[in-house]
Amino acid sequence: MVSTLEPQAKIEMARKRRLLPQGMGATLPALILVLVFFVLPVVALLTRSFTEPVTGLQNYVELLGSSTYLKIFFNTFFVSALVTVISLLVGFPVAWALAIMPQRGANIVFGIVLLSMWTNLLARTYAWMVLLQRTGVINKTLMSLGIIDTPLVMVNNLVGVTVGMTYIMLPFIIIPLYGVIRKIDPMILQAAALCGATRWQAFRAVLLPLAMPGIASGALMVFVMSLGYFVTPALLGGTANMMLAELIAQFVQSLVNWGMGGAAALVLLIVTLSLYALQLRLFNAAGQGRA
Amino acid sequence: MTPFLEIRNIRKEYGPVVAVHDVTLNVGRGEFMTFLGPSGSGKSTTLYILAGFDQPTRGDIQLEGKTILDTPSHQRNIGMVFQRYTLFPHLSVGENVAFPLKVRGWSKADITERVRKMLSLVRLEGFEDRKPAQMSGGQQQRVALARALAYDPPVLLMDEPLSALDKKLREEIQYEIRRIHQQTEVTILYVTHDQEEALRLSDRISVFSKGVIDQIGTGEELYSNPSTRFVAEFIGDSDFIPCQVLATRNGRADVALGNDLTVLDIPLHGKAEAKANVELMLRPERISLSTKAGDRALAAKVEDITFLGNNIHVAARIGDRTPVSVRVPFGHEALSGVERGTPVWLSFDADAAHVFSA
Amino acid sequence: MLLNFNTLGSWKWFLIAVTTLTSAFLLLPILFIAALSFGSSQWLIFPPPSWTLKWYEALFADPRWLESAWTSFRIALIVTVLSVLIGLVASFGLVRGTFMGRGALRALFMTPMILPVVVLAVALYAFFLKVGLAGTTTGFVIAHLVVALPFSILALTGALEGFDKSIEDAAVLCGASPLKARVLITLPCISHGLFSAAIFSFLTSWDEVVLAIFMASPTLQTLPVKIWATLRQDLTPVIAAASTLLILITLILMLLAAALKKGLKA
Repeated sequence: MVSTLEPQAKIEMARKRRLLPQGMGATLPALILVLVFFVLPVVALLTRSFTEPVTGLQNYVELLGSSTYLKIFFNTFFVSALVTVISLLVGFPVAWALAIMPQRGANIVFGIVLLSMWTNLLARTYAWMVLLQRTGVINKTLMSLGIIDTPLVMVNNLVGVTVGMTYIMLPFIIIPLYGVIRKIDPMILQAAALCGATRWQAFRAVLLPLAMPGIASGALMVFVMSLGYFVTPALLGGTANMMLAELIAQFVQSLVNWGMGGAAALVLLIVTLSLYALQLRLFNAAGQGRA
Repeated sequence: MTPFLEIRNIRKEYGPVVAVHDVTLNVGRGEFMTFLGPSGSGKSTTLYILAGFDQPTRGDIQLEGKTILDTPSHQRNIGMVFQRYTLFPHLSVGENVAFPLKVRGWSKADITERVRKMLSLVRLEGFEDRKPAQMSGGQQQRVALARALAYDPPVLLMDEPLSALDKKLREEIQYEIRRIHQQTEVTILYVTHDQEEALRLSDRISVFSKGVIDQIGTGEELYSNPSTRFVAEFIGDSDFIPCQVLATRNGRADVALGNDLTVLDIPLHGKAEAKANVELMLRPERISLSTKAGDRALAAKVEDITFLGNNIHVAARIGDRTPVSVRVPFGHEALSGVERGTPVWLSFDADAAHVFSA
Repeated sequence: MLLNFNTLGSWKWFLIAVTTLTSAFLLLPILFIAALSFGSSQWLIFPPPSWTLKWYEALFADPRWLESAWTSFRIALIVTVLSVLIGLVASFGLVRGTFMGRGALRALFMTPMILPVVVLAVALYAFFLKVGLAGTTTGFVIAHLVVALPFSILALTGALEGFDKSIEDAAVLCGASPLKARVLITLPCISHGLFSAAIFSFLTSWDEVVLAIFMASPTLQTLPVKIWATLRQDLTPVIAAASTLLILITLILMLLAAALKKGLKA
């Protein structure tokens, strides 16, 4: 029996020598990076909203009590909601067509969607700044067609922001929706037709409910991304029509008011995270419903 | 004499679950030993402990008298063929077989020579440059076998290597494995849940059930003399007829079947006192069937007759309760005039019977 | 019916119309910029009165543009290497590890991807001011690494989960040490994951604007920062030229990725 004890003792020793559970050590570099350069700075920033200039909630009182800031909150939510709705209305038919189109056409459309998504964000925003300006192509075309007499103002206001943001968000709704619609078995709709459903009934009662998980999660993702978007609103909206992300940047960069910057950041974070939590719950519920 | 491979009291616990329950087993040099059992019976866990992918909670494994447990997997020099296809997909067939030789630092000429030899052993000469994806599942497992044997391991482990293949191909490769075993004389530990495969391949079989080895023996031993009801059920077909113990002595029992039939001196497995309710195990082909009443026969009624090629399978029921299968050779005269609902009398050879305590 | 293009009836034309218009909407601004970069008009009149290469000449004549492009490339390259390395090691831990809280850890690693980047930018800016990393290449790399790592981990955990560990086990039993088995066998098998981790990491850093605006100093600017700063002053066609080059790079990368995907299938 002595010989059975010896390897046993070695196994036990090897087990004890390992300080961390198996595999945990490998995640340490990433964990340290995320903790030191992500969690710590964000927490520190949010803390400053309660401590600067003095300890208390005065930053939040000011942020949520002033009509200037409330207007910015309203703008942010309004534009994000509008962008989400338009993206969804346009993106759903495109995703649907992509899922059932002949391969050649689908490849071309998909290529365009990907090219647009991968093109540098500033290049795309620049294009819209040029297109939408007073002397831009859109105004010129509309005037030469006699539709308008004086140029429309489409930059430095929320029109420009909405157009530019929709342009950027469209791929983010088309691609996941395409994935969802592709997974739906065409036979189910065949069955609906055999049951006597008209196209409209089949759409309302079968296709739309089956695509709903994709619609919900895609819409939530676009909405949340829009809420925190910085570049496009800053360039196309101008200072008079600020959105939340710009406000945070301005507090820090121009006003050097870390307390207010932190407070605005916390508001954005809370909204973002609760919407993600909602999405997770919706997603899980949908998953369980199908199982 | 020390046995070639000795597994001593191996136990594996995962938290409160005991996956392997003090398994002890000796394997001789060149033996083909199969671990047979349903999934979750501990056979694969035992194999993985041998391979070094898992550490036992206690116990020891010795190869030629030396423990292997403190040797890491890659230094154990053990060959293994897995359940799934594990050829390296980015390497050619030749490079796959050469891999273990390369990591052992063999010279190029030796490697080329050995790869050629191994591929001819598994009858895949000329496939050196194929990629695994270009080969069938059966071919891939043969290359895996060549790779595992290339470095002359003292022990080859095989973990259900044929379970992904269809029946016809499986039988073909079983034959190949047998040939290769005879040719190389390597010691093989083979895991399967397929009793037919185990019987076809093995020198001896260890039947695993719930983390314990129920019985170790040759196929004939297991079939003719099963030591537990589980083994009797798992190896071959079996009928179980309830009966009552009349007397026991020296591990044998006299039992009564109903009121009118007693059989004497049957091997008893497990513990049973007089009057205990037990079960009599019979093999379907050792039961004979007759339409004439006999005094040492059980009355039954035929419920179904199925043609199985060289056999006819008769499903009958004794006394409206106990189902029995009987196997009769095709064309046997006993079957003339027998159809569904026919009353028949079943008699059996007491030599082939066993009693298991319930 | 609704999922069969040929039996869609009149709905088919509606879908085709929306898809065509949307494709035009997505494509035209990109073509428009490319056209304007060759137009002679300082005021970006379209169609341009005549064609010229002078905006490209201006672009290449200005050392600040080239310098910022070089800075972008350098930072993106370092970020790519670190992101793939750290992501690979972490993915092995996440996929192969048996420790408690793996799921939570994975979620934590993904958060930089879903959080508004402006919050991270402001927070890191404050932190770097304190520790003296503001306006340094190291600061830039760290900031981009934080947002690139989730993409890398996502690609690599996915590839590792799709890889049958028995293949690695087989290599170990063949006599390769665990490390050798991973390098010689596992890494080649998950090369598509390594490749997409690298592409995503590179593009994340190369195209990143918001963090870059906060990390930049007058002497250290990436290309997006340079474009941003120029854009805030005026809409000079030089930006159209720079944008066109960026679009070209994107297009080449896309074609490369498509070709590689095809090559993998063959």
